[in-house]
Amino acid sequence: MKGSKYIIAALFCLIGVGIFAQDYKLPAYQKFTLKNGLTVFLMEQHEVPKIDVSVILPAGAIYDGEKAGLASLTAVALKHGTKNYPKQKLDEELDFIGATVNSFAGKESASLFADCASKDKDKLLDIVSELLTSPVFDTAEFSKEKKRTLLRLEQAKESPRSVIGSYFDKFLYGDHVYGNIISGTISSVSNLTPADVQQFYKTNYIPNGAAISIVGDFNSKDMKATVTKLFSNWKQGKQQGSELASKPVTKPTGNRVLLINKDDAKETTFYIGAPGINRNNPDFVAIEVVNTLFGGRFTSMLNDALRVNSGLTYGASSRWSPLKNAGSVYITTFTAGKTTEAAIDTALNVINRLHTAGVDEQSLASARNYVKGQFPPRYETSGQLAGLLTQMFWYKLDDSYINNFQKNVDGLTVAKAKEIIAKYFPKDNLQFILVGKSADIKKIAEKYGPVTEVQITEEPKKAF
Amino acid sequence: MIAALGCRSFSVGSDNHFNHMNMNKYLLFFCLLAGISVQAQLKPEDVKTFTLKNGMKFLVVEDNSIPNANMYLFYRVGSRNEHQGITGLSHFFEHMMFNGAKKYGPKEFDRTMEFNGGANNAYTTENVTVYTDWFPTSAMETIFDLEGDRIASLSIDPKMVESERGVVLSERSTGLENSPWNLLTQSVQAQAFQEHPYHWPVIGYEDDMKNWKQTDLEQYFKTYYAPNNCVVVIAGSVKLDDVKKLAEKYIEPIPEQPAPPAVKIVEPEQTGERRIMVRKDVATPYINIAYHVPESRNEDYYALSLLSDILSSGKSSRLYSSLVDQKQLATNINTSYDNSFDPTLFNFYVVSNKDVKEADIENTIYEELEKIKKEGVNDRELQKVKNQRLIQFYNQVETINGKADNLGTYEVFFGDYKKMFDAPSLYNKVTADDIKRVAIKYLIKSGRTVGILKENTNE
Repeated sequence: MKGSKYIIAALFCLIGVGIFAQDYKLPAYQKFTLKNGLTVFLMEQHEVPKIDVSVILPAGAIYDGEKAGLASLTAVALKHGTKNYPKQKLDEELDFIGATVNSFAGKESASLFADCASKDKDKLLDIVSELLTSPVFDTAEFSKEKKRTLLRLEQAKESPRSVIGSYFDKFLYGDHVYGNIISGTISSVSNLTPADVQQFYKTNYIPNGAAISIVGDFNSKDMKATVTKLFSNWKQGKQQGSELASKPVTKPTGNRVLLINKDDAKETTFYIGAPGINRNNPDFVAIEVVNTLFGGRFTSMLNDALRVNSGLTYGASSRWSPLKNAGSVYITTFTAGKTTEAAIDTALNVINRLHTAGVDEQSLASARNYVKGQFPPRYETSGQLAGLLTQMFWYKLDDSYINNFQKNVDGLTVAKAKEIIAKYFPKDNLQFILVGKSADIKKIAEKYGPVTEVQITEEPKKAF
Repeated sequence: MIAALGCRSFSVGSDNHFNHMNMNKYLLFFCLLAGISVQAQLKPEDVKTFTLKNGMKFLVVEDNSIPNANMYLFYRVGSRNEHQGITGLSHFFEHMMFNGAKKYGPKEFDRTMEFNGGANNAYTTENVTVYTDWFPTSAMETIFDLEGDRIASLSIDPKMVESERGVVLSERSTGLENSPWNLLTQSVQAQAFQEHPYHWPVIGYEDDMKNWKQTDLEQYFKTYYAPNNCVVVIAGSVKLDDVKKLAEKYIEPIPEQPAPPAVKIVEPEQTGERRIMVRKDVATPYINIAYHVPESRNEDYYALSLLSDILSSGKSSRLYSSLVDQKQLATNINTSYDNSFDPTLFNFYVVSNKDVKEADIENTIYEELEKIKKEGVNDRELQKVKNQRLIQFYNQVETINGKADNLGTYEVFFGDYKKMFDAPSLYNKVTADDIKRVAIKYLIKSGRTVGILKENTNE
């Protein structure tokens, strides 16, 4: 009977919706700004007796100028101590209460993450505020840190996976500040001085443009008073060079290959990349869903073709790396040297298939379910929530990113997915980054575009 | 044996699955330590258990913090159950468990799970093979159906065997390509264990990997993948009754099997220091020093665990402070003492600084150990490592995955998940003298193996 068929169809729809009816909503939090411009987020979470702190600062590698690696070294050097907490005392006190404080620089911003048992929150916040507002940058510690950094840069060249990302950014962004290498290079870091770090700190570690979020087991009223007291004396500043990141990125006009020769390589590790999107792109969620199908999960087209069907690799995926003003997208995988050509061709076939065959309702439904089903565990812990709040601040996202996430996922139709693929998923002007043994794979590399060859042992060029 | 894990996949999607794996080492015990109150989720009575007629035991934790749940299946099989000729088979089998069964054919396991919003991974160690499913609670019945299908009637398709062989060969190769540790720790382990099956790496020997036979796989499945050889933990927004019903429906009909053969080889006592050199193009040498120590169920487990923390946990720890900070002989120092069924290794891992003699690094470590053997440790140090473990504990129980992982680990390695709740008193009992005693008893020259990986092994 016609009627009952419809009823069954309707029932299936209901079940389909019902499965994910428990929408994940951002827990309540308060947000305020101190007089010096520091934005503060407080979110109470009482499940476990600890607190998590996340700080984001406009102090990433885009401000390095000619001194590649300076932002990174400055962020790490915050932990070299303050007047009240010289390094040894700092390490000892943090270790004793089982607290952690980590600071590091990224491409655009610097971050500090800290956590401790809630009974020690006053101690931890006191330390965090001193590290951020009055670090001493001890010269002896600086020289030790620099030596360790230089050795790590040398060691990174032993692992293709550790260096390929920096080469890709340089190749894609050219001399735009988004091409800056976060870790720096051996020659650039060799030239850094304690005075450089002092200066970088003074210019870029400023409360206006920064945010702190505290999530965990505390009382918001008391916490507001504590934070206001600890951070209000942090002096405002005016940053130089913040306009550099908004300069337009020159887009590639054809396929190009960067071949990084590693003489003892047995594998070829490669990216196939292109320009991507800004983080605040309104289609961000739709792109995430389509990417899930393309290269974002185990059964994705890429992993299916390169791993499951052919055994060419242990894993293949596609990733988006969005920034404030630009972004990148790339396929990443690796394969034995002798199967380099098969792996690259297979990846290119998958790109082609995405554009010609597109996605069908069944696979899109699967991707929507998957993205929604795996969403709540992303924001399960206080640390995850603290990180989310500072990210939302940084990219100017409002609560709707979280609260409408499932709705936005559900809103993606096959027709819309088709538009998303055509608009955002690259199919030409591809940038190939290959780390492997040039003697064996150079001929293959030439198939895909004009080849620039460099040695992994030498310094990366300023731009390619 | 940090490098001993084999994992089904990594970095596919947004999660780095290596984090899931490495998280699982430590323990739940610290809840009662220092008199700190335990969260509701952690009371022993909140862990519900039942055992099916076929011997499969279930642990269930109801936790409604997110609308998700997980299922962790701990099979008591790992590379210690292998022999030469089939090395690496446990890990390979872990991969094959995803490649098709009676109801859900090749590719269908992952496709069905992901269609229903679930994700999965798995890992293999010397001791266990663990399967992990993460899903919205509404998908639980599907998850049971999928797991029941592959445990009851896995179908080993020769074509899938061949493509999966390529996958694990790539996994082995990419590990060696990107880190010197795999090569070094495998070499040290092979020296320290000359007879016991901890001798070979979890990933297997390359030639064995190329030669596993269909019959090897079929035999392995029959012997080890029996419901009575598995413990299941489910944590999340579930109800015990629902779990029980589904377990009875999908798992209980699967027949019990005879218990797998016991591993009987006991490693003979090591009576002299063993040294090994390995060549690789590296900027500075990597050093791995290993001492023989007892398995997790031994009473000295707790003192040895705290000793490891005192040596290397945090920048104020003894070895970081002397080797990295003050003497600047190394850029990295770590120690580990992992869970195991049989006597295992207490490992030191060091990355040498530039222009440093390896002997100076070794001697600094040995001097620190001598100091502990003579003078012991102070109370503040002991309190410090206890405080650190408390925070680790909080971090673990903050997630449903941390809960499932720890409960399963206790049940399997310590014989009973309830031991997790005894552990606080066992840790509290550890005194400075105990630390001294275990250092004297186990960290002895004649029982150690020293491995050095460097560029020039001719000097």
